[in-house]
Amino acid sequence: MKIRMTVISMMLALAATLSGCATSGDLQKMQAQQKLIDAKADQALQDAQSAKAAADAAKTRADEAEKRATERERIADEKAARADAVFQKSMKK
Amino acid sequence: MSDLSDLQKKIVIHDNTQPSARMGRKAYRVSLRQPGCRNITQIFGPGFFILTFRKVAYLPMLQNVDLTRVSPWLRLMALGVFILALNGCAVTKGAWLSSGPMEKEVARNRFPLEKSDDVIGRLAVIRLEDGDTLPDIARHFGVGINALSAANPGVDVWVPTAGERLTLPLSFILPDAPRKGIVINLATMRLFQFKDDRTSAVVSTYPVGIGTKERPTPTGQMRVTRKAARPTWYVPASIAEDHRRKGDPLPAKIAAGPQNPLGEYALYLSKAGYLIHGTNKPASIGLKASNGCVRLLPENVETLFNETPVNTSVLIVNQPYLIGQRDGVLYMEAHTPLEKPDAGAIELEKVYAHLRSLEKQSGRTLDWKKVKTVQAEARGIPVPILELEKGAGKAAEKIVQVEHPDKLYGKPELPELKLAAWYVLAGDLSDEVEAERLAAIINHQGPPIPARVLSKQDRHRVIAGPFSNASEANDAARRLKIDLEINGVVMGPVSKTESIALNQ
Repeated sequence: MKIRMTVISMMLALAATLSGCATSGDLQKMQAQQKLIDAKADQALQDAQSAKAAADAAKTRADEAEKRATERERIADEKAARADAVFQKSMKK
Repeated sequence: MSDLSDLQKKIVIHDNTQPSARMGRKAYRVSLRQPGCRNITQIFGPGFFILTFRKVAYLPMLQNVDLTRVSPWLRLMALGVFILALNGCAVTKGAWLSSGPMEKEVARNRFPLEKSDDVIGRLAVIRLEDGDTLPDIARHFGVGINALSAANPGVDVWVPTAGERLTLPLSFILPDAPRKGIVINLATMRLFQFKDDRTSAVVSTYPVGIGTKERPTPTGQMRVTRKAARPTWYVPASIAEDHRRKGDPLPAKIAAGPQNPLGEYALYLSKAGYLIHGTNKPASIGLKASNGCVRLLPENVETLFNETPVNTSVLIVNQPYLIGQRDGVLYMEAHTPLEKPDAGAIELEKVYAHLRSLEKQSGRTLDWKKVKTVQAEARGIPVPILELEKGAGKAAEKIVQVEHPDKLYGKPELPELKLAAWYVLAGDLSDEVEAERLAAIINHQGPPIPARVLSKQDRHRVIAGPFSNASEANDAARRLKIDLEINGVVMGPVSKTESIALNQ
């Protein structure tokens, strides 16, 4: 009985040891994967930041273009109004 | 959906970083570039875009939305935007309403008068052609430039876009005055002449030019005391002084001819110093440009002169808000008051009191929101506001589509360029539209000064002429300086040597 108990205990210890070895392998693999994902996340973040910067720049350019267009329209309207005013004055006797 | 490719060129989405006053939160403007409307804009909240433009939400801002890349129901929604935007445009609205066939002519001056009706004439639309100006269209169709501009807000007076549809305000509510003799409404800048023969009553109506803010046309009851064809103009002291200060002294009197501002006919009124007369500046009809006299187009004053006996009653009123009925429909016509906007308040209150009384009499409810819109927009067009009898709304006028005439009556004609002639360089501009506008303004001076734009690469030169000699050219340059503040450069004829050198 004693011998049987000893054999079972040794088998359990062996199994536990083997099982411990498998866990550390997995851990290393997982750590490597994490590293890769981390690196990818860095890249994605950089990409997102540059995309945002590009979008912001594009938006600024668009805003400026719109501002310029509005300004041009305002100046054109002012010129047209001034021309009309001069014309109306010229219609007096 | 065949129009979608056109639509995609016209619809522009702007990211509006300013919170919209209407919505109190971030909103988007959708602009539609559409002939006849300078800038149609509708404002939508972000929710609208989540629903409709979700698929194009990542497109950079301020770009055309490619409608061919969105699903059919999104296209349908985009078409909805288009229709909504069109709704804000009176010009296209008018065009859509007009379902009648194209007509060659439309009545413009003379209308039969029914005792029960206060509204005469019909609204019309015309498609503009290249080279048209609003003063030319106004003269051809017998409307004032004020009325044409008010009916078509946002349309460039001098350089409108070819293809634009223009509303011709040829429907009028008669002034609230006795229908006899001549009645002039200063606010609408229109003269009405009532005539009764044995069988029927007729009203003739013409656009007029009136006095300035400083020298306004007087209101009140007057009569025609005498008439004169080819009148001499005795220059009043006030005008002589104005001209002397401008460096353009006038003689004591000016005989009939192109320089005479009275034109070919004059009707002298019982109020001393005031006349109804023609003009040598037809483009001034519909403007406040006289010294208190009432000006008519040359072709209109001749008719009025021939049909008005001495002693005819002349009543001058100032009624910016008019109401009247035709065929059981009540119409309202609003004009911008001549004085400051609040000066029309008394007139408006009178009209509101009348409307309240009509509402009570008819037992129908008036759309007061519509009344206020008509008043605020002040388009000078009779707008149906109430059916006085059930079903009468169907009788409301359809808008007539008028063919563009081959030649507009009175449009200034440009003589051919000649190398041997004299010219005045009136402007050298980088903006073509500005150059076209300047040339059109010079063309519409009185007496006319021919002018055109000669474009070379990115420069656009406004050339006045041809003039047959140096004196004519110098005179034109002087008028350009005095009347339009233009420093023109007089150019002599191109000599043979110059011609050879320039051709090499």
